Parts: sequence; structure tokens; C-alpha cells
Amino acid sequence: MMLQADSLHVARSGKEVLSGISFSVDAYEVYALLGGNGAGKSTTLLSFLGFLSPTAGSVLVKHTDVYSDIAAARKAIAYLPESASLYEHLTAQENIAYFLQLAGMSASSPAIDAALDRVALSPNARRRKVGGYSKGMRQKTAIALAMLRDTDILLLDEPTSGLDPNAIDEFHQTIRSVADSGKAVLMVTHDVYGACHAADKIGMLQGGKLKGEFAAEGHGIDIEAVRKAFSATVVPS
Amino acid sequence: MSIPGALRREVRFSSRDPVLWLWLALVLGLSAMSVAFGLAEVERQNETIQKLIDGDRHDRLAQYDKQESWGSAAYYSFHLTYDPPSDFAYAAMGQRDAQPWMHRIRMLALEGQIHERDVANPSIALIGRFDFAFLAAFVIPLVLILLLYDLRARERIAGRHDWLEATVGQPTSFWLLRASLRAGAVFVTLVVPVIIGGMVAGASPAKWFVATLGVFAYVALWTMACFFVSSWRRPGSVIMLALIAIWVAIAVIVPAGARLAIDRLVPIPTGADILLLQRETVNDAWDLPREVTMAAFFERHPEWSEYQPVEGSFEWQWYYAFQQVGDQRTEQLSTAYRDGRLRRDHMAAWVSILALPSLLERFLQSLADTDLRAFFEYEEGVRGYHAALRDFYYPKFFRNEAFDRTLLEDLPSFKPGNPGMG
Ligand SMILES: Nc1ncnc2c1ncn2[C@@H]1O[C@H](COP(=O)(O)OP(=O)(O)OP(=O)(O)O)[C@@H](O)[C@H]1O
Ligand SMILES: [Mg+2]
Repeated sequence: MMLQADSLHVARSGKEVLSGISFSVDAYEVYALLGGNGAGKSTTLLSFLGFLSPTAGSVLVKHTDVYSDIAAARKAIAYLPESASLYEHLTAQENIAYFLQLAGMSASSPAIDAALDRVALSPNARRRKVGGYSKGMRQKTAIALAMLRDTDILLLDEPTSGLDPNAIDEFHQTIRSVADSGKAVLMVTHDVYGACHAADKIGMLQGGKLKGEFAAEGHGIDIEAVRKAFSATVVPS
Repeated sequence: MSIPGALRREVRFSSRDPVLWLWLALVLGLSAMSVAFGLAEVERQNETIQKLIDGDRHDRLAQYDKQESWGSAAYYSFHLTYDPPSDFAYAAMGQRDAQPWMHRIRMLALEGQIHERDVANPSIALIGRFDFAFLAAFVIPLVLILLLYDLRARERIAGRHDWLEATVGQPTSFWLLRASLRAGAVFVTLVVPVIIGGMVAGASPAKWFVATLGVFAYVALWTMACFFVSSWRRPGSVIMLALIAIWVAIAVIVPAGARLAIDRLVPIPTGADILLLQRETVNDAWDLPREVTMAAFFERHPEWSEYQPVEGSFEWQWYYAFQQVGDQRTEQLSTAYRDGRLRRDHMAAWVSILALPSLLERFLQSLADTDLRAFFEYEEGVRGYHAALRDFYYPKFFRNEAFDRTLLEDLPSFKPGNPGMG
């Protein structure tokens, strides 16, 4: 078990935003969290990263309570934040190199280039400052960075936001192969169709509660069932 | 990541921040300017002193040629006393801006001559000269605040704060490294001009090394303060306001409040009081019976008590005696003035433990011998020199010795306490 939430309760600014959710993500597994705005998806990721200590329940990373050793949990995780804002005055390569060094890794330019190839960031953009990038280009850079971290666990908050359909397709393939190499991926998304294709499991989050889980059976996840459940969650109750 | 690796990473990162470079250029400019002003002022003071030294003996000899008695020779002669700037004065002008550092004294009552200058500037200017000490103590904290207040808030606004913390192993040492690097760059740009200035001025390396250590500790303290306040989860503007409030409190409010309180707690006579009392005593002496004046004089100089004043005729013995009695009368007031000011200064020193900028300024001024202690030492030197002059002249007056110009070669000359620069 790479990630595990156990009747997790989290409060932000005194208000309970996660009310006892339980789920787990294994190695070789892609888990997608679906839910409307404010459902608590990002909050769930931040709990695994040690930023929001639970008011009740627990979060485990590799069987260890996150809040007993936050540094160890973070070391095992590559995190792609919701609005990954890179340093505008640096190029994509420089941004990636800086963040990798932050994580205590050294990165060769060929390795960075290969990762940027994989997300199809155009080669002449790589030498330009990120300040001049489109949203999708920034997202691609951040995804490349998360891949390069080469950690056992990836926490991705809306990784496909801003990407064009081709790039989304590429991303899902990449994520699949990452999981197939033995890593655990927990990603937040609004994209029902994409989630059904790329994920092994989908958790439906609403109002801080897990309203249902869908697992791939035989030929992937039942898109129609997920779509129905999803519309139910986003319809104001 | 190893410390050198992290350091290299952050140096490379910060070196690409144009705003940091602008701040460093500003600090370098201000520091170079303050040091250049300081060196120029020290040179001007040294030149003034040198010119007066050159003229001192020459003017006196010219006077002697016109005189025929010891009494009139003493009356018309001026004697230069001066306090040359120390080799570190360029960095901290201190009392040299507010207090006289040279006098041309005569054999007349001394206290009035010493305090004459005080009348013109009775209180110390609130904001002194823009010297290095002022820059380091008062301006640099503001630069540090503006450079460090949004250490985290900036990243929070960019939505990068949690990402950075999730990526780096030890967030606290990461932020600390970023803060110290920026503050360290400020420290280096701040002290390089003062060290170069020290070499130009020929200051002893020990002196600017100790000064540099003091400034380092001071910058480190402010960096820590900025570091802790900036880790507060509040908008950058709130953090900046909080830090500026700390600055205003310890740089302005505490010293100003303390000065008011200390002045009220330790009342002291003014220089003008001393001057006035002495003038009155000296003027009244003309109308007093001469025995009264002489009796007061003989208390100090029983060795001349054989002298019998003659009422109605002018005698130099009596004239200089009442000058000295003028000093004797104001002695208590002068001592009260001096002790009072030293007591105030002593209390201000204690307060400056809370008002850190003043503490650093005082530290640099004491290194530069431009503090109140150095100033009073100079004044004591003037009194000592005046006493030596009296010791020279009194035997000549009271033994009615014939005027001999050649004996004036034995006139004591003033020896300044601080060896001058260069
Ligand atoms: N920094 C914060 N301080 C206080 N409350 C917060 C903060 N961030 C989010 N919340 C609250 O927590 C709840 C869950 O927010 P969260 O960001 O986890 O939602 P989400 O599912 O990621 O939504 P979205 O799809 O819009 O990203 C919301 O009710 C929100 O108001
Ligand atoms: Mg979110």
C-alpha cells in the first residue's frame, strides 16, 4: 500500500472540509479523484503531503503515518500542484533543474530534454523564459518535472488542465506507463472520460465525503456509471 | 542535499533576481557615499587642525613681539587645543558633529571658553550626519525588511509555497538559507566600502575587523527577526507593516521616549548657565574688595599668599586670580554638567540594549573615539593644558619676573589624546 487515508477528517480555517474519507492507492495503480469544486480533492492531496494534519483519522504513505515523519513522506512523493506556477524569469529547463536540485537530485540536461520531449514541449520554447509560456506549456513543464522526480508516488492535482486533447492523450499514456513501472499515482481531475481511461480506480468526492468508488473490471471502468454519479455530485444538493 | 550544493543552488537562483541586484547596488552606493563623505570630513578636519597648528606658534610669536610684560603676553596669546579624528572616525562621526573638537584658549577663565560653543548648539541634532554608522544602524534594517518580508508571502501568492516545501526535504533550513543568502549579500556590499575606506585612512585592521563583526551580528539579528516574522501566514503587506512597526519602535520611539525620560530624570545645567555664572563672577570681581578675590585664590594657591593686592591700581596677579576664581565658582556647575551628561549617556547606553540601532551606532562611535567619553577626555585635556599654562605663568606673575621672550620657548604645548591620522 503506497497511500492510505483512514477515515480522514481535516479542517481548514476551523471548518471541516474532509469528513471521514477512506481509500488507498497501491503500486501499479492510478487512482483518480473526481468531484465538483470545493469537494476537498486538493485538500486530500495536501493531507498526504503533511500540510494539513487530520483532526481525526490518519493518512499513511508507505505504511507510515505522514505526520510522524513528514520529510520521509514528502521524499517519496512527486507533487504537481493545482496551479503549478513556475519561476517566470527562468526557462523550462532551468525551472526543472532548480526543483530537482531542491529535491536533492542532480539532473543532466539530456535527461531534462528527454522528459520535455515526452510531454512534447517544443524545443525552441525550452530556451525561453516561462513568463512567455501558455498555460498548457507551463503544465507540460510541471508534468515533465514530476516525471523526472522518479518517486514511488505521484500526487497530481488537475494535471490535464490547460492541455490540448492530443497532450491529454499523451499524458494519459505516460501516466499509464509510469504506473505500470510500479509507481502509485493519485490524481485529481474533472475529466470523467479521461479518468475512466487512465485510472484503475475512481473515487467520487462530494462535500468532503467519498460518495462512491469505481474500479476497472475487465474492460476498464464503466463510463456511463461514473458520468451519472459525477453529474449527481455536481448538481447542487 | 549537501550544504555546499544547496548553497550553490540558491546562489545561482538568487543571482538571477534583478530586484536583489538593484537593492545591492543601492546599498553599495549608499555605503560608498557615506564612507566617501566620512573620509572627506576627516580630511577637512585634519586640514583645519593642521592649518591652525601651523598658525598657532606663528601668531603667538608675533604677539609676543608687541608685549612687554608677562601679564599682557598671556592676555593676548591664544593657545590651540584640538582633538584630531581617529583613524576610524570616517565611519562614525558621532560627537564630532555636535561638539567642538578644537579651541583656541586664552589664560582667561576657562569654563566660559569651553562652553561658549555649546551655546550655539545646545542640543544634539536628532538625526546626525549620514555616516556609515547611521547607514548600518538605521537604514540597513529597512533594506533587510524590504528584501525579506515576502520571503514566503511572495511564493504563497505565486502558489508555489507548498510546492517548494513539498519538494525540499527541510523547509526551515531552505527558507533560512534563502534569507541568509540575501542578507549576506547585503552585509558584504555594506562592509566592502568601509573596509576599503579603512585601508585608505590607514585604520588598524583590528578596528575595522571588530566593526565588521559588530555589523555582522547586527545584520544577523535583523535577518532573524525578518525570518521569523515572514514565516507568519499573513499577506506580505501585513508582514511588512509588522516589521516596519518593530523598526519604528526600536529606532525611533524607544530612543526618543528614553531621551525624554532620561532628560527629566537627570536634570543638568546648560553650557549657557556655566558661561553666564562665570561672566558674572568675573565681572563682579572688578567691584569686590580685592582681598575677597585673593582669599578665594589662595585657597588653591597658598604658595602665593604673600602677595598683597593694592586697591585701585591694575595688577595682573589680581586680574588672573579673579579669572581663576571665576573657574572655581563654576567648578561645581561644570562638574554637574559633565557628570549629568555622562549619567544620561550611561542610562542611554542601557536603553540602547533595547534600541538596537542606537546600540550599534554607539558601538561604532566608541571604536571611532567619537563618543561622549572621548569628547570629555578631550575637554579634560584642555583643562589640564590650561592648568599647565597657569603653572607656567603664575611664578612669572607673582615673582614679578622681568619679561623675557626667550623663556616663552618653555611654554607647554598641547598634546592631543588621539594620535592623528596618517
Ligand atoms: N486555504 C484555505 N483556507 C481555508 N479553507 C480552504 C482553503 N482552501 C480550500 N478551502 C476550503 O476547503 C474546501 C475544499 O477545498 P479544495 O481546494 O480541497 O477543493 P477542490 O475539491 O480541490 O476544489 P477545486 O475543484 O475547485 O479545485 C472548500 O470548501 C474550500 O472553501
Ligand atoms: Mg482543487
